[in-house]
Amino acid sequence: MVFFMFLFEVCFVFWIISVASGPSPYYGVVGLVFGAVFGCLMLVGVGGSFISLVLFLIYLGGMLVVFAYSVALTGDPYPSAWRGYVDLFCMVSYVLFVVGAVMYCFDEWSLEGYGDVVMDASGLFSVRMDYVGVSWFYYYGCVMFLIAGWGLLLTLFVVLDLVRGLAWGTIRSI
Amino acid sequence: MNPHANMIIMSSLILGPMITITSSHWVMAWVGLEINMLAIIPLTGQTTTTHEQFEASIKYFLTQAAASSLLLFSIINNVWNTGQFDITQPTNTLSSTMMTAALTMKLGLAPFHYWLPETLQGTTTMMTLILTTWQKLAPLTLLMMINQSLNTSLLVTLSLLSMMIGGWGGLNQTQLRKIMAFSSIAHLGWMTMILTLSTKLTLLTFYTYITLTTTMLLTIKLLETNKMSTAMTSWTKSPMLNATMMLNLMSLAGLPPLTGFMPKWLILQELTKNHMTIIAATSAILSLLSLFFYIRIAYYSTITLPPNMTNYSQQWRHKNQQKPYLPLMIITSSMLTPIMPTFMMIL
Repeated sequence: MVFFMFLFEVCFVFWIISVASGPSPYYGVVGLVFGAVFGCLMLVGVGGSFISLVLFLIYLGGMLVVFAYSVALTGDPYPSAWRGYVDLFCMVSYVLFVVGAVMYCFDEWSLEGYGDVVMDASGLFSVRMDYVGVSWFYYYGCVMFLIAGWGLLLTLFVVLDLVRGLAWGTIRSI
Repeated sequence: MNPHANMIIMSSLILGPMITITSSHWVMAWVGLEINMLAIIPLTGQTTTTHEQFEASIKYFLTQAAASSLLLFSIINNVWNTGQFDITQPTNTLSSTMMTAALTMKLGLAPFHYWLPETLQGTTTMMTLILTTWQKLAPLTLLMMINQSLNTSLLVTLSLLSMMIGGWGGLNQTQLRKIMAFSSIAHLGWMTMILTLSTKLTLLTFYTYITLTTTMLLTIKLLETNKMSTAMTSWTKSPMLNATMMLNLMSLAGLPPLTGFMPKWLILQELTKNHMTIIAATSAILSLLSLFFYIRIAYYSTITLPPNMTNYSQQWRHKNQQKPYLPLMIITSSMLTPIMPTFMMIL
């Protein structure tokens, strides 16, 4: 299990560094996808299975898809991958930076208590510490859920109306 | 505006304050305020011809967003201190002070009133009406719900300051919508003066203020006038409406026996019952300032004729966009003082 966590962490850092040092957004999206996959697997390893699934769904299935479409619309026609020694130098310096940061702050960072389910809050009441409470939002809190959904729909229409005119619209005139 | 967008925005404009008023959880109250703010932003930004018009919407948005985030911060502070989200339970001092600041920023009380005249001037008259009447509903309701935790000295200070600024600020104005903004500031000062002592009177003042302001703004819209110079010649469009505009203005000023006198009288009575006599006298004297500019509008529009030829007659081609509820509102804005015991019983 420790080996799995180590493997996931190494792969995560590798893909994130490939995003940071890559010159083109096309290959950066690939790196984001795989980095997010390994990040979710890391979350499963410390006990956040629900939040990992939610991250998969929303980040990979929602935001990355939208980002990939926008990159496909606006990207350059001849994307360049890792070019040579310049990017290798970037990657090595990022790795050294990450390792140096971890070594510097080793005493302060810990994942202790991440997978705990219930915690005591000042002796007054108990707080549930995992993220399964989000699923309660969809069942017990359905009215609030509907109002939140309505608020998002309203925001869409308000933003569309504010940017409607080309040069005489509300925001453009400022 | 696009009909689909208009439908969603109008229904959210109504839904927002309804959520806030019927909520007992602080987050729901905040959600209602946010839905309200989002819905009114495109409505205020519809006309963008002059510099003033397209800045009004942005000023409104910035002020309301800052007030909402301050309110959210005070809600979180309240939860941190008391551990619960219930509106009806008392709050601690820091939370209640920050909530007072946030809600008075939303209402447009002094010293957070700077956005109100320019925003009301930069939108259409119907939006001015909505901004001065409907938008005050949700923050005032929240203030009334937390009135036991509020600091009376702070509220009395803010309300006296609002009456001063509403009075003195409106003296130099010629635009009628800006005058209505300063009148709104002064009336809100009267409302928050009595908030910790009697929420019934705050509600009565609020309802009276809505009636008077609605009548005045509908009159302004029907006469198609915005400045004192065009108000002078607006009697030709509808002489009866001009005459009732004078009654409405005197009612806004709080002259007996018109409706606007009723809440002021009851507030002064309640203040003297609580041994706040000097404050009562000060607020009565400060309402004289707003009386001056109301009388000035009435003088130039109704009491005197503008300089013109002797044979000065009414327009013979009338507009046909009359509002059928305006006569009813004129009656309610002039004649409700004799039935004041009914209101005390109802509220």
